[in-house]
Amino acid sequence: MRVTQGTFSFLPDLTDEQIRAQIEYALGKGWALGIEFTDDPHPRNTYWEMWGQPMFDLRDAAGVMAELRACREATAEQYIRINAFDATRGFETVRLSFMVQRPATESGFRLQREESAGRVVRYTLQRR
Amino acid sequence: MNATPNNIPKPTSVDLRALYAETNIGSLLTELDKDLVGLSPVKRRIREIASFLLVARARERLGFSSAPPTLHMAFTGNPGTGKTTVALRMAGILHRLGYSRKGHLVSVTRDDLVGQYIGHTAPKTREILKRAMGGVLFIDEAYYLYRPENEKDYGQEAIEILLQVMENQREDLTVILAGYTDRMNTFFQSNPGFRSRIAHHIDFPDYNNDELLQIAEKLAEEAEYRLSEGARKALGEYITLRRQQPNFANARSLRNAFDRARLRQAERLFQREGAISASELVTLEASDILASRVFKMDK
Amino acid sequence: MLPYAKMGYWDADYVPKDTDVLAVFRITPQEGVDPIEAAAAVAGESSTATWTVVWTDRLTACDAYRGKAYRLDKVPGSADQYFAYVAYDLALFEPGSIANLTASIIGNVFGFKPVKALRLEDMRFPVAYVKTFQGPATGIVVERERLDKFGRPLLGATVKPKLGLSGKNYGRVVFEALKGGLDFVKDDENINSQPFMHWRDRFLYTMEAVNNAAAHTGEVKGHYLNVTAGTMEDMYERASFAHELGSCIVMIDLVIGYTAIQSMARWARNHDMILHLHRAGHSTYTRQKNHGVSFRVIAKWMRLAGVDHIHAGTVVGKLEGDPAVVAGIYDCLREPSNPQNLQRGLFFEQDWAELRKVLPVASGGIHAGQMHQLLTYLGEDVVLQFGGGTIGHPMGIQAGATANRVALEAMVLARNEGRDIWNEGPDILAAAARHCQPLRAALDTWKDVTFQYASTDTVDFVATATAS
Repeated sequence: MRVTQGTFSFLPDLTDEQIRAQIEYALGKGWALGIEFTDDPHPRNTYWEMWGQPMFDLRDAAGVMAELRACREATAEQYIRINAFDATRGFETVRLSFMVQRPATESGFRLQREESAGRVVRYTLQRR
Repeated sequence: MNATPNNIPKPTSVDLRALYAETNIGSLLTELDKDLVGLSPVKRRIREIASFLLVARARERLGFSSAPPTLHMAFTGNPGTGKTTVALRMAGILHRLGYSRKGHLVSVTRDDLVGQYIGHTAPKTREILKRAMGGVLFIDEAYYLYRPENEKDYGQEAIEILLQVMENQREDLTVILAGYTDRMNTFFQSNPGFRSRIAHHIDFPDYNNDELLQIAEKLAEEAEYRLSEGARKALGEYITLRRQQPNFANARSLRNAFDRARLRQAERLFQREGAISASELVTLEASDILASRVFKMDK
Repeated sequence: MLPYAKMGYWDADYVPKDTDVLAVFRITPQEGVDPIEAAAAVAGESSTATWTVVWTDRLTACDAYRGKAYRLDKVPGSADQYFAYVAYDLALFEPGSIANLTASIIGNVFGFKPVKALRLEDMRFPVAYVKTFQGPATGIVVERERLDKFGRPLLGATVKPKLGLSGKNYGRVVFEALKGGLDFVKDDENINSQPFMHWRDRFLYTMEAVNNAAAHTGEVKGHYLNVTAGTMEDMYERASFAHELGSCIVMIDLVIGYTAIQSMARWARNHDMILHLHRAGHSTYTRQKNHGVSFRVIAKWMRLAGVDHIHAGTVVGKLEGDPAVVAGIYDCLREPSNPQNLQRGLFFEQDWAELRKVLPVASGGIHAGQMHQLLTYLGEDVVLQFGGGTIGHPMGIQAGATANRVALEAMVLARNEGRDIWNEGPDILAAAARHCQPLRAALDTWKDVTFQYASTDTVDFVATATAS
């Protein structure tokens, strides 16, 4: 069950060339790049593990691609995403975030229902 | 995305002049000639390198195999002879010729690359390298990386990483090492890996007295000052004396002298009574130069 | 009756203070009425004047309270219309009250006989006044952080048919659309609580659909639950239930009124919910160029009041929207400050004083085949709503949603790569459709649908090409 978080998850998995192009786009905008990974893709999991530190002041994608390569080697069966961060006033937030690695099989989520008063149900997601 | 069909014949000749015009490096080379005083052997080498790279491009167009040329360089010479300035221009030239993706310059010394404790160096060096990727990395006084007398020194780690990148990521980064000629030679002898990876050694001779005077005049012009006749003569004497004294740093020393002359001019004008004309505000007089300690030193 | 101009309502030498509230009106004086006098009358009737002099004026520092018309320009290309600029002292207004602001500016003057037609074109609010408002409860930045969705427009759809579905069937539409790939689904403006579907049933079934779709996709999903009701008390009750059920967002209609809107914005802020506003009814007074209130002004009021989403035009869809006018309105909602830009209908510069940004919603007759135009005209911080375009898809609702999502992601990817999406858009869509049957079907079904009509509301200032 494909987790469709991230800006491009409905397209076929991005090739390295496509990833590089997106990184160049973010660098062109003056955004900082960060690589994060996790084995817990719950939609409310805000804080994935950071791979190294966020990278500021880069002019070229080569450095990020090298870090991505290293991250993939170290975290073979986890989700990896790349974030691009914009520190300008009025934003100060992530502007682009997309998946660059998924585990070979994605187990997905099961919806847990807890019946409450009346017809109300309390919902939560569990990893399968 | 579209492959060239096989039945279109490859070009059999190339117009180098047109290629030259296309890359627009002509304007950069002209700028180089105009903005940098002297340095004629350096300028000649740069033109040679540019021509070589242009021909490499042309060969590529005609379908000849070309492994990417090695571009790493070593600049040797005394301080203040224009090494950093030329490195910056070189980055622009490489970019225009298509050998540097972004064409920016990152300028560092040993302390930027080497850490203070175990495990500190590798991330520090990689950080710098990431920033320099796509452009040119200029390492000033590179020989300080190598301190064999201190066993706790972490410079060796930085050296290994640099050597690896210089060999394996030539299309991502060009490295320029710089420093005093004799110390660089010693450094290369102890670290032969560098010498074999460097394609171009360029020596930066000291400026002669006329060139130094020209530089001083340029500085004045840029700052919108002018030198009186007397000041010019005094400056010539200053240069002759100063260069014999220790720690002479060519253009940098001239800049310092110019700044001190401006201070003295300001002091002199301040002591005057009455209105000061625009022309006086702009002019440096002989006394502003002759007050320097340099003139008293051999007494 | 003393002419208004002489009473102090016209002052060509007046320099507006930084703390004045400014307005620009498009006035069409009746035949024989002097334009300056008409402008002064508008200033007067929207501040202190009555049709005759009264002695009780002398009990006040009356000059301070007078609206001052300080500038009058002929409208370019028109014979009988003028732009009248009026300044109002800050003392006229209650802090933090849109109801008071509107009662003051448009409460009295629009029926005034000497003016044949009157339109409020734009307003400027001093920072001192802006600071008295809460502003958007959530704002674009925080909304994206809550949804964890960055780098692309958000996708939505309104449930169709507009009326008649029962709660359970309604939830089915929501589930299909969200599972297929949309971020949001929406109640229509008149879906409140009717005999065919009570609001509680809708809320319960919808939240089952939302959570179910979230489990299938791993994404945060939402449905704009419409809490519009007959009384404020009912609205609070409905909003609280939505909150209890775990919805991230609620929806209100413009027709509930400015006071209710501000109350709901405060409620949304205090309950960490996103507030969507449907601009129901606005076209009755925003659409004609010579009379009414420009939607640009409504948008500004709504940013102050504190909504997070507002329908603001699509340009290429079925509803009115000239490109330059819509661009100007989007600027008012999304930018931290607006410079004057007459080509976009912005008469004043406006500093929004760190007020959060409103996410514009583009809805009405748009489809996946227009994705390149939508992205170009409207940018990235927008909600694109494809109601018919999702639910009317020949392969079903999930397929409709997937078609829209794939088209959007492919277009954003291409734009970031540096491609010329305006011209290559159809090629990019066709290429994406090769891997996506639903998109292929959508493009084939709707490829000839466009809505080309002359706009009724256009800008007055166009850039004139200068001879080089």
